[in-house]
Amino acid sequence: MSPVRQRLLAGASLTTASLLLAGCSGSSGTSSSGSHDSINYALPANFTPNWILPIGTAAHLNSNNNAIASTLWEPLIAYDGSTGSMGWNKKGSVATAAAFAADNKSVTITLGDRHWSDGKPITSADVKFWFDLIKANKSQWAGYNPGKAPDNWTAFKTVDARHFTITFDKAYNPQWMLANELSQINPLPQHVWDKAGDAEKDWAYLNNAAKNISGYATNALWKTVSGPYAVKSFSTAGKVVLTANSKYDGGEKPAIPTVNLLPFTTADAEKNALRSGSVDYGYIEATDLDQKASFTAQGYTVKPWSGWAITYMPYNFNNPSIGAVFKQLYARQAVQRSIDQGSLAKVIFNGTAVPGYGPIPQAQSSSFLSATQKSNPYPFSTSAAKSLLSSHGWSEQGGVMTCTSPGTGAAQCGAGVAKGTKFQMQVLSQSGSTVTDNMMSAIQSSLAKTGIKFSIKTAPVNSVLSQTPQCTASQSICKWQLSFFGTAGSWYFPAFPTGDSLFQSKGGANFGNYSNADVDKLISASTTSSSTQEIQEYSAALAKDLPVIWLPEPDYQISVVKNGLGGFSQDPLANFHPAQWKWTS
Amino acid sequence: MSVQSARRWGLVAQFPAPLKARFARNKLAVAGLLVVVLFFLFCFVGPLLYSTDQIHTDLTQVNLHPSGAHWLGTDAVGHDELGRLMYGGKVSLLVGLAAGVLATVIGTLWGSIAGYAGGWVDAVMMRVVDAGIAIPALFILLVVSAITTPGVPGLIVILGLVSWLVPSRLVRAETLTLKRRDYVLTLRAIGGTHGRAIARHILPNSVSTIVVAATFQVADAILLVAYVSYLGLGVQPPSTDWGGMLSAGLTAAYSGRWWLIVPPGLAIILVVCAFNAIGDGLRDAFDVRGRG
Repeated sequence: MSPVRQRLLAGASLTTASLLLAGCSGSSGTSSSGSHDSINYALPANFTPNWILPIGTAAHLNSNNNAIASTLWEPLIAYDGSTGSMGWNKKGSVATAAAFAADNKSVTITLGDRHWSDGKPITSADVKFWFDLIKANKSQWAGYNPGKAPDNWTAFKTVDARHFTITFDKAYNPQWMLANELSQINPLPQHVWDKAGDAEKDWAYLNNAAKNISGYATNALWKTVSGPYAVKSFSTAGKVVLTANSKYDGGEKPAIPTVNLLPFTTADAEKNALRSGSVDYGYIEATDLDQKASFTAQGYTVKPWSGWAITYMPYNFNNPSIGAVFKQLYARQAVQRSIDQGSLAKVIFNGTAVPGYGPIPQAQSSSFLSATQKSNPYPFSTSAAKSLLSSHGWSEQGGVMTCTSPGTGAAQCGAGVAKGTKFQMQVLSQSGSTVTDNMMSAIQSSLAKTGIKFSIKTAPVNSVLSQTPQCTASQSICKWQLSFFGTAGSWYFPAFPTGDSLFQSKGGANFGNYSNADVDKLISASTTSSSTQEIQEYSAALAKDLPVIWLPEPDYQISVVKNGLGGFSQDPLANFHPAQWKWTS
Repeated sequence: MSVQSARRWGLVAQFPAPLKARFARNKLAVAGLLVVVLFFLFCFVGPLLYSTDQIHTDLTQVNLHPSGAHWLGTDAVGHDELGRLMYGGKVSLLVGLAAGVLATVIGTLWGSIAGYAGGWVDAVMMRVVDAGIAIPALFILLVVSAITTPGVPGLIVILGLVSWLVPSRLVRAETLTLKRRDYVLTLRAIGGTHGRAIARHILPNSVSTIVVAATFQVADAILLVAYVSYLGLGVQPPSTDWGGMLSAGLTAAYSGRWWLIVPPGLAIILVVCAFNAIGDGLRDAFDVRGRG
């Protein structure tokens, strides 16, 4: 082939792929699993299940791993949104009751009359086995947050085979304790897994066994289950086949005997599988919503799956160049007022996001949400944003707001902001999503109208997280200014949405080092008080104080579900529950 | 005896036609040149005649079909697509041209020094080239782009630095032949320096090879910009280039919004093909040895 032809072909190849894609249409509507004895469920793109042990470690922390494990080993208390509202799903729990002491300093839990798949009863010893494992190895447990469980559980007392009491270090809000701490407990088959009689050795043994993915379907260790399903096969490439546990005696009897969990390397690959009809329960991206009719014609229903999450862009308050500007509330207000969340949600997200104005998820109604947050204390207004800056010593120079009146007076730029400081900031944003790219472009444009220069740098999400850590001003890593990792929501909460790790001073996920003593008190109070007043006050305080740039909360997933598959609600905690799936026609 | 008869009998030397005339005989090359000129006019003069706002988004005007108001419709954030094609084309052409020239300059210097010096210097320099060629340019670009997000100048430098290897080989081969010519040896014999030999004789006589290589380098650089942007690692908003436009439009492939995909795709194909045709035409025009 002549060089010119080689180059012509090379030039053409890039576009040919796109044009071919554009020319393709939906494929035949062949049935997916082929019968109502099975279902094909699409796992999120680029996720490969790699952990079966119902105790997460940092290296294997993923909600989908957790969902699979919970299907095999039923949690003590399933506190989620799988029943249509956030609460304790007793049908999917081993416990049947939790009685808090009058002083809220302990709880006595009653277990149901349940059995392991090998016929042995589920007892308090199985819960104590989990408790001892976590106590002895808490630093390796992904759910560990210093001062919280298991640090605040001071004692475990077995009352009898089906009753036990856990004592706390102080009084706690029962709802918070149930939703965020006790819900993490998984009774484990102590009679099978307690090989050494020593919590540290057992931890090492179980973790080593769990590293062998190819042994998940064959190792006897994993065959004693309490949940509605057992593992039939578990491929290292990511495909998992679950089969109904015939000995299951809980409340969520599986209706579909075989569940195939399918991995996909990209969202496009998954979408093509949907078009070919080989997936019963999959997803599309928000930008694909205008193709809803083609999926409907293929026998699918499009069902947005909203998450119990918030989306935001943290400020780095310790950034040496712009941190002082971020510390000024009026500056944060100007930024927030420059962002038209309503239009972003409607246009960029195609209606699959809701505006978020504070630390409590707003896609669902809840008693945690304050009226202040709900009503949006800083509505979009470029002119108001501009006037906030100009009334605090800033004037536009060359299209960028510049501090011309430094000082701490009411009409000056504020502490630490030097004369000549330009209001320009850069975000390190998650790459790989057209919706995110478009949202960033729109934000850049609207901030520019206020006179705030906003530049965008993109990187894969893991890179964003590693490059935007908590830091002090003197550290070289502290050059980041804004961070965005929320294409599918920045932070998914447990059922009770406290902000202890997000917005409490020195909280584990408080990336931007936000610190406010009043907010710290409200966060602590929300976990100890029995009323919802404290968390509502916390909601209002952060909606007004703007610790981050609040952004629209996108749906967790735009699900595409085969007609006839029903009987379930999509859990806002982003877990899937195969036992609830039913073929209705 | 007439001049014609004298030529027929080989008594008068037949001088080749001027370069411009020889180039003009290649219709495809002329068409290529025309296409490149038209695209340059489109991208650099077009915005003066068809003014659009490519800096700010307009969420009230997203995904509009082509119409009198927007000849090629609008994109997902409300940019006029025809204006964006001009705006993106500036980056594609500028980066492609600059990176192609940079690659050719580096490759020419490297290849001429290696070929002229010979011996161990040549061996070491060409092993560096071999090692560089063994690593796919796209891989290097992806790694660099993952570490840093380059602007237009950065992209030019990065593309130039990964594209100079092939021209260096071509120029080295040419230099190896030229350095043994009598006029070069004579220059050295009368005390001329190596630098003078390279600057006055080697490089001017390699110009045909260099010019042809440069056109192909420009075409390759435009493609590389498109690849990198297609993968989401090119210039950042509000800037764009044709590859980035193609990437952004891909999600609309099933939605019937052809105007987001076809125009930037066609622009890439046409410009790359045009530069290649120019390169072929120049090669033929310079290659007088093959003429009878």
